[in-house]
This record gives sequence, C-alpha cells and structure tokens, in this order.
Amino acid sequence: MSGEAVLARGLTRRFGRFTAVDGIDLAVAPGEIFGFLGANGAGKTTAIRMLCGLLPPTSGEATVAGIPVGRRAVELKQRIGYMSQRFSLYEDLTVRENLEFFGGVYGLSRHRIAARVAALLPYLGLAGTENRLTASLPLGYKQRLALGCALLHEPRVVFLDEPTGGVDPLARRRFWDLIYEQAAAGVTIFVTTHYMDEAEYCGRVSIMVQGRIVALDTPAGLKATTGGRDMQDVFLRLVDR
Amino acid sequence: MKRVAAIARKELVHIVRDRRSLAVAILMPLAMVLIYGSVIDMELRDLQVGVLDLDRSDASRELVREMTASGFIVEAARLASRAEVEAGFRRGRFRAVLVVPAGYAAGDRTGIQILVDAADAATAATVDNYLQAVVLRAARERLPAAGAPPPPFTARTRIWFNPELASAHFVVPGLVALVMMMICALLTSIAITREKEVGTLEQILTTPVAPAQVILGKALPYVGLGALDAALILAVGRLAFKVPMNGSWLALAAYTLLFIVIALAVGLLISARSSSLRVAMMAAIIVTMLPTMVLSGFVFPIASMPRALQAVCQLMPATHFLVVVRGILLKGQNWYPLQTAILAAMAIVILTLAARSFRLRLE
Amino acid sequence: MGPLASLMRKEFLQLRRDHAMLRLVLVLPIVQLLVLSYALDNDLRNVRVSVLDEDRTPLSRGIADALWESDVFVPGPPLASGDDLARSLKVGRCDLAVRIPAGLARDVAGNRSAAIGVHVDGTNSSTGGRAAGYAEAAIARAATGRDGRVGAVRFFYNPELESRLYMVPGIIVMIATIVSAMLTGMAIVREKELGTLEQVLVTPLGSLQYVAGKSAPYALIALVDLALATGFAAVWFHVPLAGSPLVLLAGVLAYLAVTLSLGLIASVVSDTQQQAMFTVWFFLVFAIMLSGFFFPIENMPPWARVLTWLDPMRFFLAIVRGVLLRGAGFGDLARDLLVLAGMGAASFTGAVLAFRRATS
Repeated sequence: MSGEAVLARGLTRRFGRFTAVDGIDLAVAPGEIFGFLGANGAGKTTAIRMLCGLLPPTSGEATVAGIPVGRRAVELKQRIGYMSQRFSLYEDLTVRENLEFFGGVYGLSRHRIAARVAALLPYLGLAGTENRLTASLPLGYKQRLALGCALLHEPRVVFLDEPTGGVDPLARRRFWDLIYEQAAAGVTIFVTTHYMDEAEYCGRVSIMVQGRIVALDTPAGLKATTGGRDMQDVFLRLVDR
Repeated sequence: MKRVAAIARKELVHIVRDRRSLAVAILMPLAMVLIYGSVIDMELRDLQVGVLDLDRSDASRELVREMTASGFIVEAARLASRAEVEAGFRRGRFRAVLVVPAGYAAGDRTGIQILVDAADAATAATVDNYLQAVVLRAARERLPAAGAPPPPFTARTRIWFNPELASAHFVVPGLVALVMMMICALLTSIAITREKEVGTLEQILTTPVAPAQVILGKALPYVGLGALDAALILAVGRLAFKVPMNGSWLALAAYTLLFIVIALAVGLLISARSSSLRVAMMAAIIVTMLPTMVLSGFVFPIASMPRALQAVCQLMPATHFLVVVRGILLKGQNWYPLQTAILAAMAIVILTLAARSFRLRLE
Repeated sequence: MGPLASLMRKEFLQLRRDHAMLRLVLVLPIVQLLVLSYALDNDLRNVRVSVLDEDRTPLSRGIADALWESDVFVPGPPLASGDDLARSLKVGRCDLAVRIPAGLARDVAGNRSAAIGVHVDGTNSSTGGRAAGYAEAAIARAATGRDGRVGAVRFFYNPELESRLYMVPGIIVMIATIVSAMLTGMAIVREKELGTLEQVLVTPLGSLQYVAGKSAPYALIALVDLALATGFAAVWFHVPLAGSPLVLLAGVLAYLAVTLSLGLIASVVSDTQQQAMFTVWFFLVFAIMLSGFFFPIENMPPWARVLTWLDPMRFFLAIVRGVLLRGAGFGDLARDLLVLAGMGAASFTGAVLAFRRATS
C-alpha cells in the first residue's frame, strides 16, 4: 500500500464521445492541502465524483485513503468526507439532527455521535445554534455545518467542492482556519475553488484544462514557471494557452 | 402582447423539453379513451356459475346445457355438495350456484335454488336476473301446456340518443372534461407554483411585464395542449367507438372555451394559495381530478347520491359542462340557458378570487 | 444507532415538520372515504319518469301507479304530447318516459295485443339500460299480476344488496395505493432536486438500506391510513370484518411492498417531482381501471382481462373484499397472496436495482 492519501494513474471518464476527464495523474500526501483548480467545465467535478466512488472511471485507476476506487465503495466512503458546491443538508432538520443523521449513516455508535457533536459544535462556531432549523441559518453557518457533517466520522481524506461559494470574506477566513487545523491534524484536504486567494493557501495546486492536468506544483513554483504575478495571473495564462 | 408571447414561448419550451410529462399529457387521454371505452361495460359476459345437480337426470342436464347455451354463462364448477358453495364463493371460483332439486325431472320447479355471492351487489342482481330468465324459459319449454297465457300487453322499449347503449358514447364526453381539468388546472397550477418555488417568478416580475401578462403567457400553452387533447379524445372516440356528433361544432367550441377559463382560474387559485409544489400538486389532484371523476356524473349517477352530496356536485363546474357536452354530441341540443348562466357565474367568481389572492401573494 | 435507523429517524423528523403534508395524509383519507363511499354508488335511485297517458282509463292509471311501486323511480314533469316527450328527453327534464297509447283498454278488452312505449335516455349507457329493465319489469307485473320468478334465491354476504358494502373496501384500497405510491414517488426525487441525495450518496449507506429506509416511514403512514379507514368503514358504513385480520395484514404488507417500491422506482427514474407524480398518476389510473374496482373483470374484453394479471391492485382488492365481506382465509386467498408476495419481492428488488443503477 502506498503512503499517498490520494493517488490517480491515467484516470479517465468518458460520457459517450465526450471525454470529461482525460488520463489524469496525481499523488497527494497525508495532511496536505491540495488545490484542484480549473475553469468551469474543465472536469473537476467529474474527477472528484470518481475519487469519491460516486462515478466509476472508464479507464485508469485511483486509490483514496488506501482503497482502490470502483470496488469496495462502502469502505472507501467510510474513510472520506465530502462537501459539495451546492449546500446539500436537510433544511427542515435542526443543526443537531443533521449531525446526528450523518453520524448514524456513517455507522457511528450513539455514544460516539454524542461525543463528536459535543466536540464539533464549539469547534465549528455553531454552539447555541444546535436546535435551530438549518433553513434559518446564514449561509456561512450552513457551510460550517456541512463541513461538520463531512468531518463527523473522522475521515482521512476530505473532498471540498467549492466550499466557500457565495459567502463573505470573513466567513471564508473562518472556514479556512478550520481547514488548516484539520490538515495539521493529519487530514488530507482536496479542495476546488474559484477564489485565487484561496489557491495561495494550498500546499500544492493542480490546474485542469479540458479534462487534463496542465500544471501541478506549489503556488510559488507555478508563479516561477509561468511568470505570473499572482495565482490569478497564473491561472489565466495556463487556461488561455 | 409581445411580452405575453415571449412568456408563452418560454413555457412551450418547458413543455416540449420535458418529454415524459408531454408524453403523459398526450398519451394518457388517448389510453383513457381506449380503456374506458372498452372496459366500462355493464353488460355481463362469461359469468362464472357453479352447478349443484341433485337430480342427475336428463332433464337437469338439459337445464344446465341451456344455461350455458345463452353464451353469457360459463359453467365454472360442478359441485358435489352444499358444503362447497361458500368455499367457492370465498375463492372467487364462481359468482352464483344453481341448485337443481332431486325432483326436477318429476316436475319440481319450486325447489330450484339460485345462490348468489352478493358481496358485489350490482352484479348479484344482474346474475339473479340472468339465471331467472334461463330457468323460466327452460321450465316453460318443457311444460308448454301448463304455461301461462300470453300477457295482455307488453313494454316496447326505445332507447334514445345511444340506441346500442355504448359506454364509449357516455364516457368520451366525460373524458373531455376530465382532461381539460387535468391539463388546464393541474398543469398550470404546477407550472406557476414551480416558478415561485425556484424563484424564477420573482425574476420575471422584476421585468416590466404585468403580472396578468405573466399568468396569461404561462397559461396559453396549456390551453393549447388542453384543446389538442380534447380534439384527440373526440377523434379517437369517433374513429374507434363511433361516438356521434349530432350538434354544432361552434357550440361545442364555445362551451369548451368557457370551461377552459374556469379550469385555468381553478389552477391559478390553487397556485396562489399553496406554499410549496408538493402541496400544490396534492391540492390540485384533490380539488380538480377527484371531484371531476367522482362528483360530476362522469360515471356514477348524481341522482343516486345523498342530498348533501348532490348539492356538492352542483358546485362542480364539470357537472354542468358534462350535461352540455353530452347534450351537444349525443342529443344535438346546442343551447343550455341554465348551464350557461351557472358556468359563466363560476368563471367570474373563481377568477375574481384567484386574482385577489394572487395580488395579495405578490405584494 | 445503525445507518438504517438513522435514515428512518430523519425521514420521520422531516415528515413531522411538514404540517401541511401531515394534515393531508391523515385527514384526507377519511374525507375521501366518506365522500367516495356515497358518490361511487352504482345503485339506481331517483330516476325521473314522466308518463304520457293517452288512454286515460282505469287500466292506464293502474299501469302508471305500478311504476311508482318501484323505489327506483320518482315522478318527473307530466307530458302533454309526443313532441313534449321527445323534447323532455332531449333537454333532460326526465330520464325515462312511458307512453300509454290511446285505445289500450279497448285493445286489451278485445284480446288484441297492445304495446306500451318505454322511452329511455340512453346517454348514460349504464343507468339507461337498467332503468329500462325496471320499467319493463313493472309493466310486466301490471300485465300478468305476477313477477315471473321460479325457485328460491338466496343472496350470500349482503342480503340487502347494498352496493356500498362492496365499494367501501375498494375505496380503502384506492386510498392506501394513492398515499403510499404518491408519497414515495416524490420521496427520492425531492432529495435529488434539493441536492441532499448527493451528500447521502458519499456516505457508506447501501442501496438496499437507502431504499428500505426511505420506504419504511411511508409504509407506516399507509398502515395508519388503512387502519383509520377500515375502522371508519366498520363503524360508519357497517362493513363487516368477517375474516381474520391476520390474513388482511399479510395482504396489506405484500401490497405495500409493491406500491412503495413502484413509487420509489418512479422517483428514481424522474428528474422532477412533477414528472414523478405524473408517472405515478399514470400507473394509478390504469391500476384502478383494471382492478375490478368499478367494473367486473369478467365484463372486460379478453385483452384487458389478460392485462389485469399485471395489476397488483386486482389481487389486493380480491384479498380485502374476500376477508372483509366473505370471511376468506389463507387457504381461500392463497393464489392472490402468493402472486402479490411475488410482485412485492420483484418490485422491491427492482427498486433497489433501479436506485443502484441510477446512482453509479
């Protein structure tokens, strides 16, 4: 078993004649914050869906948290957390009920759920909101709650698909603080974003264009090779090429 | 008008894109005509009857043979004893049992018994009548001299407007009303509530279109779809079941238009009053589809209902529309002053209510 | 707490918050039962009969009186002429008209055969024919003084021939079908529309667990509805519970497995709640038509009779009516129960497979 948290070799997905993901290779180390960038429609979401076991690859292979994707989907899902670009928790459940539901679905014991919820609520800054209906929360709170639901079962890899879309800079800042703490604790973070300042926070960044990874390096390395002033510039140069 | 057209065009795209809903909207009425036209048939066929022959004579065998010779009755089982009767009923093997008494060949007619599974009361009465007729005929033929004198007078029946009592002639006009309600009320209410839920209605209302134009534009394609369905139903009814058109097409079109206006108004009222799509859909089915099927005289006669329910039936637009459509198609009667007044009044009242609650909602 | 239990608990929590839905689901069945039981009544009543007596003799008046002995007929407006008769039928002032021709008494006295006209509005093919039958029977009775019956008749299970006893169990079946299939029909597609389905899919929850967890709460609702409706039917309409509740429960469970699974399949193959509802509605219309609910199966043309074998409602209806009205037991209903159980197992498997296919 390799030590990498996420490993992909020639991972490909075709829909009919359209190739959404075209043979990508990548390796992410445990505890790394990996930025997965690309224009809209470049194939990021398809790639993440394959890595999460939601979509079988057409060819190529990948291992996530030591489990090969495509087979053993249940084991894989037990070891990862996922938070999607669209807020996708139950609006008609309270904060606590949402957390308890996902805890139960991940098969945690009642005792364990209670302990995790008690620990996560203050950690996420959600203490005092536990009995409020999720629908009544501001978006920033909802996103932290979604992160909480993805972290509840202490996954080894967390996939965040545009986690901070639509929230104010302060809320984004708080969210990234949480991500840093998780990475420091050894959790691998695999994140897509459209905010280039957020790309700067990542350990390494890959940039996807039309289904292929065209660049993969640290933010500093990318700026050096492309001659871009900042990540925004780097991104525009690579995507336009 | 241009704005209304733009909204109507957009709505039409929605309708055409959603292939399955479109298929349901067009195929369901067609399938309903075909099935309703051939399934609703009160004439019994292949009636399953068990026989308990205690006589075992040539005469009793002849009676059974004559019973099945009528073509309506099938001998489903030959019973050995009375104990088998109820077991057969419970298993649904037969609907009735003819018991031929031991003295039948010797002339015992009063000992004949007809045992009927009356759980289904309507069929039971018919089964009884059929068997009575068979036994009576057999008895008379076997004892010609003892037969009663011919009756002094008899009834001569003439069936008007639908001489063959074809069920399709009765049902097809009803389906027109049902489908109008389904398409114009149900689909419109769903379409509007959906936009409200998704938030696109707000987007449209920020443009310079007047709310009335939005509603009109959204409703128009459904009016077209409803009219198309009605035409299809009438065409299939005519081709497959020979449903006649004895009245004027103009009268039919005018009354149908009036009914469409009412159906749309009902749809608007529902969408204005419901909080979510799910509620709107349930409400639309409960308020439009069920009463139109059940409380309008579509199949079940209003005259047989209790008084209170009859009053409710009079509140259903379809009740009055059905009288009109059946009258135009089957009877050739083109003008209905009472129904016209009632339908017009309903249109005005429901439209006013809908407009008022819509204005409240939007403000 | 196991994943399955968590899922069910969540479904119940959501349902409890949806007050409008809950009201609809719990109050409506009773209202429907009440209204439909009175409305779906095939017995003939209040048929308006107008008499055109052109003979005006004691004999003709006697014939007219014979009509009112039947509790099916009520007097319609009197008729003045043959034209009036045609007109009255056409505008619907009466449903049936009897024309007693002038000279009837004279013909009868002179032993010449005479005919009395029965004119019936055949627009309603079902009531028209039966009303004519009643009128003919009344006239035959007046002519011969006998009702022309032989032997003895015994009506089992429903000696009063009340059609309501037969319809009410059918209505209970229909309500249970609508509630269970409609609610599950919208269940999965709603999560799809809201985006919550994806979040659940990344969890280790299996297809089987998901489908079972999604349908369980609706099964409970349908059971509650069934119990409410059956209890109400017994108290209000005096529908007997002649057989064993256990047989009924076996049928109910098998049938709910079918309707809930079919609802879920409709939900899985639909993209919007609207589509799901249409798919379910489409299924329901035909299931009801072919079940023998209103129209006896043996009256149907052969091709339609073959189709009824695919209709789960047909078998469930036979079970419910058999148990409630005839006291049928496991042995009597073995065929229907087995077919239904097979359909239940097949459709539940179908739902799990459809869900698995749609999500991978």
